[in-house]
Amino acid sequence: MERWLPRSLDALDDLFRAVDDYLATETLPQKTAFAARLVAEELFTNLIRHNRGGRDQVHLSIERRPDRLVIRFDDFDVAPFDPASTPVVDAAQPLAERAPGGLGVHLVKNLFDELHYEYRDGVLRVTASKRLESGDV
Amino acid sequence: MFEIQRGDDGRILLNGRFDASQVEKAQAFLDGVSNSCTLDCSGLEYISSAGLSVLLQTLKRLTAESHSLRLIQLRENIRDVFRISGLDRIFNVE
Repeated sequence: MERWLPRSLDALDDLFRAVDDYLATETLPQKTAFAARLVAEELFTNLIRHNRGGRDQVHLSIERRPDRLVIRFDDFDVAPFDPASTPVVDAAQPLAERAPGGLGVHLVKNLFDELHYEYRDGVLRVTASKRLESGDV
Repeated sequence: MFEIQRGDDGRILLNGRFDASQVEKAQAFLDGVSNSCTLDCSGLEYISSAGLSVLLQTLKRLTAESHSLRLIQLRENIRDVFRISGLDRIFNVE
């Protein structure tokens, strides 16, 4: 499944509709479907918030491979992005030390198995994938 | 679709999908809370980091004002999100 989405929080309804349309074509555990929606939102909103430059649309693809579910965004004509600049959340911090924000990537890394950034010729590609158990395939 | 409103029993009811596009609406409502309160999450189907941040900000403010914030009736997926974030140890989650 592939879809172009406006670079705007207003496009979140379109994003969820696209993810749900895809999920309706697949038989996946409810927890995996929930995680897919959340990972898609977190990756999308991070692109909107942090990428400098960029076209007015980003490209989403969702694909089921034999052993995994893959969600990918391509953001075109953006400035180089350093994944190391992503804040690291310490989930054990007490309330006084917890700051709002930075949780998105933490959730993606915990709900999916792999998160990969690739930057080439002005295109940032971010890919998250989740292994599917044998009973899910 | 996301709704936040005060129930008849004084609880604050969260319903639907609390995503990044709902932050302003939720924050504006919760900024008006000035006492200890309970969030009834039985109708909350989804929450992302954006929603968590709103709840965390509200908890920090209420705690600083010597009030409390209690979350009840979280669905399993929502409870998982709190656990992964470590927020289940910060919030009073029942």
